[in-house]
Amino acid sequence: MNAQIIGQMAVSGALMGLVYALIAYGFQLTFATSKSINFGQGELVMISAFFSLTLTNLGLPYWAMVPGGLLFGAIMGLVVERAGVRLALEQKSEGWILLSIIIGLFFFSAAENIWGRDDRPFPTPISADPIHILGVDVTRLELSVAVGVFAIMGLIELFKRRTLLGKAFEAVSADRDAAELMGISSTRTVMLSYGLSGSVAALAGILVSPITTVGPTMASALILKAFSVAVVAGLDSGFGVVLVGMFLGALESLASFYLGSGWREAPGLILLILALALRPNGVFGKATIRKV
Amino acid sequence: MFRQTLCGLLLVAASGAQAADTVKIALTGPFSGGSAPMGTSARDGSKLAIAEINAAGGIQVGNKKMKIEIIERDDEAKNERGALIAQELAAMSDLSGVIGTVNTGVCMAGDKHLQEKGITKIICPAAGSASMTQWANKPDKPGVKDNSIFRFAAYDGIQSAMVVEEATNRKFTKVAVVFDSTNYGVSGRDDMLEQIKKQGNKLTVVAQEKFNIGDKDMTAQLLRAKSAGAEAILIWAIGPELAAVSNGMAKIGMKAPLIGGWTLSMSNYIDNAGKNGNGTLMPQTFIEEAITPKSKAFIDGYHKAYKVERIPSAVAAAQGYDALYILAAAVKQAGSTDTKKIKEALEDLKEPVKGVIATWSHPYTKWDPADVTTHEAFRREQVVMGMVKDGRVVFGNDADRARLIKSATTITPAKTSKTKKK
Repeated sequence: MNAQIIGQMAVSGALMGLVYALIAYGFQLTFATSKSINFGQGELVMISAFFSLTLTNLGLPYWAMVPGGLLFGAIMGLVVERAGVRLALEQKSEGWILLSIIIGLFFFSAAENIWGRDDRPFPTPISADPIHILGVDVTRLELSVAVGVFAIMGLIELFKRRTLLGKAFEAVSADRDAAELMGISSTRTVMLSYGLSGSVAALAGILVSPITTVGPTMASALILKAFSVAVVAGLDSGFGVVLVGMFLGALESLASFYLGSGWREAPGLILLILALALRPNGVFGKATIRKV
Repeated sequence: MFRQTLCGLLLVAASGAQAADTVKIALTGPFSGGSAPMGTSARDGSKLAIAEINAAGGIQVGNKKMKIEIIERDDEAKNERGALIAQELAAMSDLSGVIGTVNTGVCMAGDKHLQEKGITKIICPAAGSASMTQWANKPDKPGVKDNSIFRFAAYDGIQSAMVVEEATNRKFTKVAVVFDSTNYGVSGRDDMLEQIKKQGNKLTVVAQEKFNIGDKDMTAQLLRAKSAGAEAILIWAIGPELAAVSNGMAKIGMKAPLIGGWTLSMSNYIDNAGKNGNGTLMPQTFIEEAITPKSKAFIDGYHKAYKVERIPSAVAAAQGYDALYILAAAVKQAGSTDTKKIKEALEDLKEPVKGVIATWSHPYTKWDPADVTTHEAFRREQVVMGMVKDGRVVFGNDADRARLIKSATTITPAKTSKTKKK
């Protein structure tokens, strides 16, 4: 069909893809410092969104609610680190995989019991009316997703490059043992990365909820896409997840338009298989040399 | 010690004597989970009717008045829970009847236990066609000869006919048919396509689009419908996805009304779609608007008893209320708490029952396995078109409103023809 429709589908898809990218970025943060990721990241997104909704319902204005939600996400990230990851890492075991899944399930049950199983609308002052840019309709809500994603990723990258704490973070990422010898506490750095990762998850929840509604199962679809994005892009390229996220989002909506909505997920999965076969470290990943 | 035991015994004796003087009615349905708005509203509607009946001394059974005793069971919309509950109820020797169930699957899993024992059940407030057609004649096997399962809901056949009719009346010619990929959605699409053919092909289907449960982004489907020139969207799905469709239409600037099944009145559609839901049309058996003294009393009563400003599902609440009154009328006519006698009375109710939806004269007739409508209470004229307006459901057509006010003021509405087929 015509270029306008292709443009429309690609743009709306890419904007949703940025949410996948943001969640994938949360994986990268913890993977960098500890080579572990939180398999319950989706539940972290969901529970932070619910918490933020509660803050809003208590009468807090949007701009005061956002920092509250981010703080809550950071605390939950720390809970995951303390309860699920630290012990496993100390014992050099892979137990964090199961533990982080279990903590995720716990969050899920808690959310069902506290907030119920219904999907609920998430009020926002940002208008959902469409604006017309170059023949494409986008809503301010969708643009806010883009602004939010780039803002938090930009801030975290700046923090990593410009502050002492951030440099410690980078040092542990580069070589944990060497960093320890230089007097950097790797445990603290891992805590920091989980806290940041939790905040990133919370922001993803706050940004996406007004579009998709809040419910206990809201993140189950998102999280699978985020995994794909993280794997395709590689687990150490922040720039890569943004590109791959937008690409995957656009691909999905174009596929559902041209192939039919039942085929929506197919191109993403094919992409995932290709990436695993051809570039196991990710399209933007660095090949690591394994010392045996 | 002896005294305490004696007191205990007396208490047991007393309660035993009391139990014999009550009419036991079970209320079942999903009181938690995603279908809870419908389940709890129906239950609370029935309870409101029970409170009224008990406050007036109970039901006249033979020569004495008996109060209603409620047995409440939450099936959580889970088929296996429904089966367990049905088995438990079927084992009760003194149960007079059952009212409830929202989900078709729960009916399919549980009702056979009740039917085997001949326990009278009125399915209310919902459940798709299969919950009744499972007892009817099929090409490969004959239906049951005697059926103790009745239904009190606007079945899918009536609804799809009304949806197509509404689109035609509103002078639309090109429509898109949109549905979810579940059994409910697909059978809704088939019903609507069949109705379009039956009503003379006045509507052209320019696009058929489907989506899955949990989908949030409907842009692709809607853009295709829009570029094909659809003037209205005929839709069969449930709450959250319906809301995603309305919100998606607002985004791409598509101005076409949604017309579809009664699920468009679910609170999780209305709340999540917000102002984008305005103008959506769906068949309703009851509108939460106090147009007659009877409906005002019911709505006020519900709001006061359950401390709400809006009934979570007004349709379910009103159906629960009327179903209970119909069952109570059958108990009175049978002059017994025996569920089999109540079933016979239900198939031949002599006196019209004044409900909040309508005055029900002879709602059911003797079961005929070739015609499920013998055990269906609703006919086309008891269903109206509802429209979403600013977070509430109002009358979609003023004519319906006027008709209901008029029929409430006349003494007995004309008896519905039983030969009319769906």
